[in-house]
Amino acid sequence: MAPKPITSPVPDAWYPTLSVFMLAIGLFVTASFFIYEATSSRQNRSLGKELITGAVASVFLGFGSLFLLLASGVYV
Amino acid sequence: MGVRRKMALRFDLIIFTILLFASPVLSDLILSKVDRRIDLTSQIVRITSTLKVENEGSEPVSEVLLAFPDLQVKDLALLKASPHEGKGKVKSLSASLPVENVKPNGMPAALTFYAVKLPKALGKGDSYTFDVLAVFAHALRPFPEKITQADIQLVVFQESAFYLTPYVVKVQSLSVKLPESRIESYTKLENTKIHGSEIKYGPYENLPSFSYSPIVVHFESNQPFAVGQEVVREIEISHWGNVQVTEHYKLVHGGAQNKGEFSRLDYQARPTIRGASAFKYLIAKMPPRVHSVYYRDEIGNISTSNLWGDSKKTELLIEPRYPLFGGWRTAFTIGYGLPLKDFLFELEGNRFLNITFGSPMNELVIDNLIVKVVLPEGSGDISVSAPFPVNQWEETKLSHLDLTGRPVVVLQKTNVVPEHNQFFQVYYKFSKLSMLREPFMLIFGFFSLFVAGIVYMHVDMSISKSSAAYLARLQWDEVQAAIQQVENVINRCLTTHDKLEASLRDLSRTGDVQACKAARKAADGLLKELSKELKLVLSFLQSSSAASQILPKVEELVAKEKDLQEKVMAKHSTVVDCYEKKTGIRDSENRVAAQQQKITALRQEVENLLELIDEI
Repeated sequence: MAPKPITSPVPDAWYPTLSVFMLAIGLFVTASFFIYEATSSRQNRSLGKELITGAVASVFLGFGSLFLLLASGVYV
Repeated sequence: MGVRRKMALRFDLIIFTILLFASPVLSDLILSKVDRRIDLTSQIVRITSTLKVENEGSEPVSEVLLAFPDLQVKDLALLKASPHEGKGKVKSLSASLPVENVKPNGMPAALTFYAVKLPKALGKGDSYTFDVLAVFAHALRPFPEKITQADIQLVVFQESAFYLTPYVVKVQSLSVKLPESRIESYTKLENTKIHGSEIKYGPYENLPSFSYSPIVVHFESNQPFAVGQEVVREIEISHWGNVQVTEHYKLVHGGAQNKGEFSRLDYQARPTIRGASAFKYLIAKMPPRVHSVYYRDEIGNISTSNLWGDSKKTELLIEPRYPLFGGWRTAFTIGYGLPLKDFLFELEGNRFLNITFGSPMNELVIDNLIVKVVLPEGSGDISVSAPFPVNQWEETKLSHLDLTGRPVVVLQKTNVVPEHNQFFQVYYKFSKLSMLREPFMLIFGFFSLFVAGIVYMHVDMSISKSSAAYLARLQWDEVQAAIQQVENVINRCLTTHDKLEASLRDLSRTGDVQACKAARKAADGLLKELSKELKLVLSFLQSSSAASQILPKVEELVAKEKDLQEKVMAKHSTVVDCYEKKTGIRDSENRVAAQQQKITALRQEVENLLELIDEI
């Protein structure tokens, strides 16, 4: 069996695009999270909805910032 | 020429000891032909010997001994034996013969022996030809040891004109290649010829074992004597697609020391005369597809560099901040990124890095080379396979987004010459899931921010729980919640109205009265529910004192909505009736139009009120 070259899971050339889009989506969801926090009243705020919005936003922001690091040459 | 006399004396001593302890030939091997070529064109001395061994005894022999005086051995950087393949053929690196250090009995103490294992034992009368490459660092001694800026650099090299060996040599010859044809002096023996920059000794015939005849060549060499006192190469693997190499150099000019003052003006005006011994630049041969190359030192970026490349290689030319004269030092760092797929491979579940060991600099001697391979966090089962012996230990390094630190394999070797620039392998095991560590750390970081936000919004942090302001705020919160509920209910009512309108449109298109009636029934049920809900909230608002300001608006809204609801129902009934009785469609159209006008007006009012309340 010949040695097989290992490549990155995502081609390097995609990093800038991926980072822009994922950060944009992440920031959009973050904005909706904070709008929800600020406008809904204490009684009818639902914890589940807050947690889900926060989780979705942090997944997008997390991957977005990882790709931003990679695109700018900080190979983690 | 005191130095030369001293050297000659030293060699005489060696010969004396050799003769004192020499025993007759240990096996029946003879060297039927020895051809040596000494390359002195750079600071590194390379001696290539082609040996033809012949077995004259009856016992089969599978080992050939090579002898080197101890004085030379301390400079010996590399010794390699390979089968002789004739001129013009490409030598394959893999086909080298094993060489090991041995201490045979009864041999002179001032000699170090290496044994070359032949691929098969030589029987009686058999012969075998092989090449031996010996590379020496620091074997050229500058003489004089101190020169001024204007002087040329002269160096001395010493060797034996006869091949030093424990065997009888039938025919031998030696050629010494010099960088320039300017030779200060050289030892003249019989059969010495000189062609330009090449000196030839021999052929000499039928010499006994341990024959020795010292020669000394004193010649001009203005080659860069670049010596890396300490070079640290750090190779960092990222599975996200990069192998980052960072090399820290501590360079010194290892040639004749510079004495007197240095004149930049003289150097700049006539660098070839006033600074012949200095070197101005270094060239690094790097792999192809290298990216993000930088060259800096402690002050910052050094702009005097040049990079060019093609599909096979990349060349980087770097100029230190000042020309280096004998004894001068400089320290700098170069770094570059390499694509992962060229250097990292997978084999039977193991991953391995396959990269060159030495520095990419041309003709650089390194006294102490440290190669650090930084593997990603989470790798285990690390093993190294190097083509030559190296010191090895392990460390950890904390870098970006690390928790426990990355495992680092450190390889250390002294006396490194460009011939050591061979591939070595670092094997390790790594699970693909470990790659998700970094993104999950980032995700966790962001998520904890959100959780902090949620906690802040949920936790009641007021100190005094009984103050009037606090109670008022609590009440106001309740009112706000109730108003939001009202808004919600009204909005749902409005959607139900829209549904009824849609059912009317369907009716006019399909004429299906039953479906329209069913829609009406469903809407009726829903609206009833909603009005119950509304009543509850409304009664709460009426009882609450904090809501007194907003209550009239809310009541107005509810009333308007009720009105709107009735109008919509009336319109719906009218249209459905018309369809059922199939009479006076034109007449009904007028009535419906009037109702529709009112509905539109009311709807507008309801929406305005909603916005108004929302703003409060």
